[in-house]
Amino acid sequence: MLRRMTRLLSGARQLDPGRFLHRGSPAPQSLDAHLDDQRPRAVSCTSEDDPARHGEQHAALHYHIPLQDLKTVFPQGLPPRFIMQVKTFNEACLMVRKPALELLHYLKNTNFAHPAVRYVLYGEKGTGKTLSLCHVVHFCAKQDWLILHIPDAHLWVKNCRGLLQSSYNKQRFDQPVEASIWLKNFKTANERFLSQIKVQEKYVWNKRESTEKGSPLGAVVEQGLTRVRNATDAVGIVLKELKNQSCLGAFHLLVAVDGVNALWGRTSLKREDKSLIAPEELALVCSLRKMVRNDWHGGAIVLTLSQTGSLFKPRKAYLPQELLGKEGFDALDPFIPILVSNYNPKEFESCIQYYLENKWLQHEKGVVIAFQHDLDHGASTQTFLGDTMLQRALPAVLPSSLPLPTSSYGGREERAAVPE
Amino acid sequence: MAAATLPAGLVLQPGARTLRAFCTSVTPAARSAIPSPRECQSRRLRALREALPPRTEKMTVDQDWPSVYPVAAPFKPSAVPLPIRMGYPVKRGVPMAKEGNLELLKIPNFLHLTPVAIKKHCEALKDFCTEWPAALDSDEKCEKHFPIEIDTADYVSAGPSIRNPKARVVTLRVKLSSLNLDDHAKKKLIKLVGERYCKTTDVQQIGHCISELTFSFQKTEEWEKDKTEADMEEYIWENSSSEKNILQTLLQMKAAEKNLEINEEELLGTKEVEDYKKSVVSLKNKGDNENTLSQYKESVKKLLNLM
Repeated sequence: MLRRMTRLLSGARQLDPGRFLHRGSPAPQSLDAHLDDQRPRAVSCTSEDDPARHGEQHAALHYHIPLQDLKTVFPQGLPPRFIMQVKTFNEACLMVRKPALELLHYLKNTNFAHPAVRYVLYGEKGTGKTLSLCHVVHFCAKQDWLILHIPDAHLWVKNCRGLLQSSYNKQRFDQPVEASIWLKNFKTANERFLSQIKVQEKYVWNKRESTEKGSPLGAVVEQGLTRVRNATDAVGIVLKELKNQSCLGAFHLLVAVDGVNALWGRTSLKREDKSLIAPEELALVCSLRKMVRNDWHGGAIVLTLSQTGSLFKPRKAYLPQELLGKEGFDALDPFIPILVSNYNPKEFESCIQYYLENKWLQHEKGVVIAFQHDLDHGASTQTFLGDTMLQRALPAVLPSSLPLPTSSYGGREERAAVPE
Repeated sequence: MAAATLPAGLVLQPGARTLRAFCTSVTPAARSAIPSPRECQSRRLRALREALPPRTEKMTVDQDWPSVYPVAAPFKPSAVPLPIRMGYPVKRGVPMAKEGNLELLKIPNFLHLTPVAIKKHCEALKDFCTEWPAALDSDEKCEKHFPIEIDTADYVSAGPSIRNPKARVVTLRVKLSSLNLDDHAKKKLIKLVGERYCKTTDVQQIGHCISELTFSFQKTEEWEKDKTEADMEEYIWENSSSEKNILQTLLQMKAAEKNLEINEEELLGTKEVEDYKKSVVSLKNKGDNENTLSQYKESVKKLLNLM
């Protein structure tokens, strides 16, 4: 794919990117004629980089996240394709969209004395639930909240190696690997809080080690990181302490879980006798379930439902009751469901504009060919365009006069037709 | 045909004469009983010449058909004035005609049941009938007074046998509402009957003695105590976890506002909680769709004071 893309890039012209979408009568032969076609350029980026000041006027525009922030706020949690895009463009730009704006509005008006409200982002695959969650997390990080971000709860219920029987509760299972990874990322994201928050109880790890009452939370995290056996218990303690202490008002707590339907689904983990483990028997899942209950105040809980990565759920399922099941729904009730949908035409244009400005798409036919190529090849690992919605919306929004290559593989003839 | 047979008759004569020659010892009385060859021949010829025309030729168009076929009788080609053909045709041929056609004889016929014949039967039967009660002039009244309906089916088909095993099935239908069951007995009956219950017409098909069943459903069996939430046919909000959750949430909110005077019943009676209850019930019973979800969202927003 890379070879073909470079051929494309070398053969293409440097165009003024703003004109390709608003053509009246496109004549593909001569592009010089269209240099005179001065339609108003759609702007794709806004200079407002603080999510707290994002409003309706910024809808469908991209805003920059400084790369420094990216490392501290998002050690985990960004979708892999987005990370690839960030690496390619050397900048992180997130589009401001309506569901995220709605959530930000609610969060700005949170009453911290009331029990934590649960917001559930749901929608079809690839519509932007995870990135909306990341937008919200960035906002809360900027507002100096403590972020408890579980990037993918599905990772905790499948393909886990090294399950240990929990020392704390004999019926449950520990997951040392997952717990230690999460602790590491938690530490990176919330460095400054770890020394401020003090634990309120004494925790005895084993005969020789214990954490005294009043020591900083960082000590518990360190214990979990150094002694991997105790990592799961450390996670449980961290969650419990944060929940209790957020009520005291020293900090605001944001609990962000992606793929929360994993907590009430089924697992694919087996005991030694090959019998399936229920999610209740995993210590991590238990602590997380307690965390998303609304019996604490002083923060908010933002969740997303995700079918990707879920176990035993049909591919087209996206509605809350389908993915959560009866148990999950009853546990999360009452919550605010927020629908995240595909790009509308304005957002789509903004996205194309952004790619054109970054010189990722250099030719209006290149748009078509690049996307067709990606569409043909399943667009899973080979696309550098981190935008599933763009690919999906493309055939509907492009002017019909642009020839879409119909044969698979883009058609080598089509590429040869690109004017030199 | 007659001309062809004559020479054969002539040829036979010498044979007859030779026979005659052998029985010279026969008595004169016997001689007169045995017909002469000439008489034999003439009788034979007469029969051949005077084959009676079939009865159909004498039938008029407006004749009284029930008198031709008053009862079920086999097919008589000479009595049925229709040019019927039946049978598998040979190559470049047509199906066989009705004369001497075994296929037409094999199949059952309903020539004795023409509409005219049936009308005559009905007229005759009228003397034995009573009048339809004038009070039962609509379907609802019939159902009200006679809630049990019994359906029998008869089948007419052409085939080697006139029997049809489906004719043995008798369906008894009862409308549940006419049984005077209370809610619990009704649910129990629906569960036991299973797929024989039709919700839209509230009709249920059973084959038992009705009164016994009604009494038995009003008793509470022991196994009914094991009914769990998963068995419930529809979602009932009272005593559900959703109610508990919302109650807890609201109590916590009130406690945060230092408003401890409000008690649970008052909380549950407010309009917001009513709306919330309705939205949850519709969400659970009708499933997820845009309407129910947006209704639920609005009601939760109002409840939690999020605007």
